[in-house]
Amino acid sequence: MLEIATVFDFTHDMVILVVGLTAVLASLGVVLCSSPIYCALYLIGHMICLALLFLLYNAEFLAVVQIIVYAGAVMILFLFIIALLGGKKEVQENSLHRSMALAFVFTLLGELYLSATVGPTQQVHGEIPPELFGTAKAIGLELFSKHLVAFELASALLLVAAVGVICLAKFSFAPLRRRVR
Amino acid sequence: MELITEILNETWDFIVLFLNENIPLIVGSVKAVVIAVAIMSVVPALVWLERRLMGRFQVRLGPNRVGPLGFGQPMADTVKLLFKESIIQSSADKFLFHLAPAVVVITAIVAFAVIPFGEPFEVFGQNIEMWGANVNSGILFVFAISGMGIYGMVLAGLASNNKYSLMGGLRSSAQMISYELTLGLSALSIIILTGSLSLVDMVKAQETLPFILIQPLAFLLFFIAGIAETNRAPFDLPEAEQELVAGFHTEYTGMKFAMFFMGEYINMVTMSALVTLLFLGGWNSYGLPLWPIVAFALKVIFLLCVFIWLRSTFPRIRYDRLMTFGWKVLLPLCLLNLLITGTLKVI
Repeated sequence: MLEIATVFDFTHDMVILVVGLTAVLASLGVVLCSSPIYCALYLIGHMICLALLFLLYNAEFLAVVQIIVYAGAVMILFLFIIALLGGKKEVQENSLHRSMALAFVFTLLGELYLSATVGPTQQVHGEIPPELFGTAKAIGLELFSKHLVAFELASALLLVAAVGVICLAKFSFAPLRRRVR
Repeated sequence: MELITEILNETWDFIVLFLNENIPLIVGSVKAVVIAVAIMSVVPALVWLERRLMGRFQVRLGPNRVGPLGFGQPMADTVKLLFKESIIQSSADKFLFHLAPAVVVITAIVAFAVIPFGEPFEVFGQNIEMWGANVNSGILFVFAISGMGIYGMVLAGLASNNKYSLMGGLRSSAQMISYELTLGLSALSIIILTGSLSLVDMVKAQETLPFILIQPLAFLLFFIAGIAETNRAPFDLPEAEQELVAGFHTEYTGMKFAMFFMGEYINMVTMSALVTLLFLGGWNSYGLPLWPIVAFALKVIFLLCVFIWLRSTFPRIRYDRLMTFGWKVLLPLCLLNLLITGTLKVI
């Protein structure tokens, strides 16, 4: 198996790059597409790309489980619900909220740029001792030294998702009152 | 001029070097092509077999006009389907309408890639294995990919913009999700027995005794769930003609219509192969003087005949009974079987 891995090196890297790019494009499609069915399809595509990445890094079991659980079970329920409720294409509208949200996003981006220019962050140095391997401390060391940026980005993403869900799910009382009058 | 020949020579050298270094790549590509072509050309033969056998079961002759024994009939049908006008109603979602049959066929073919059908042998110093890919978790791979096949049916239902199609698509997804559980759980008892997810290891574990003798209940459950999973009668609710016209492929014509059938028949072959590998001992011939691959093929053909036999014997089940049967009968039986198998294994 090792020999094949060395022979395929260049091709392997290219394939990983292409699959990763496709995954990014698919996830952009999930956010930018206005029809629910296509959003779900982009999400499925994204998950298949992730499974392919797992496969390319020789994590066969993880790849198969990714497909079974996410692409197979979760997404089929998404599609099922869309089919039941009837996915209508949403009409794009420009409003004050939209521009406010955009302004907020750009402020955050600007802030990120500023903090990046201030100076390099201090990293935790040193190797993890073998007796700590697999413990919570080792994971913490790895997470907050090597993968700090990815970790912070993921936390920001989760926050945005939480706020977004509240925005989408909140129901307004005002029209109800008007109807009563 | 010299420059060009030099460049050509160098390119040629590079290609030769590349091919020499990448023999696994060549072998893999050849196997992929052979398997894909073979599995697709099995479909017309299977249609012929089904129509002939169904004819016999219903005390009639079946197709017997085109060629000897009606062998020309599938070819005539294929040509007809290829040249038929492709009609798409204007209210359909064009892209999804085209995507759906492709998803069905591709997932069906990919799922077959990990099915092993014989022992490895040596040619030109290369160890040729009789399977497309030896994935460590082969059985999970088959389940994963065949689970993706549901999308084809749901998308066909959604894209057709037709109530019958939508109903068919919804039914198929609900049915396949329900019966996938039974399928996976009954295969799990075999996984417990062998302690491996690899299909090759499972066949090797059955060298003395096929698992059908040890796990008859698991075999029965797996086979029933397999019929439901491939949408074959008596579980062909997604395309119940009397209620839903033709279910999710009501609006399809020509080759796209045929592709759904191709997917269904390839899934049938994959399911038969899976049953053979898990319960009937794969390519072990148990003392009979047969080549491994012939033993395997004979078992698969027998199971395919059973599929057709069941179709012409049983009437279609009502939809609510199908769901009740899946969740209240098959699933508890599966769990019970799993419990007993696990306990015996530990003891």
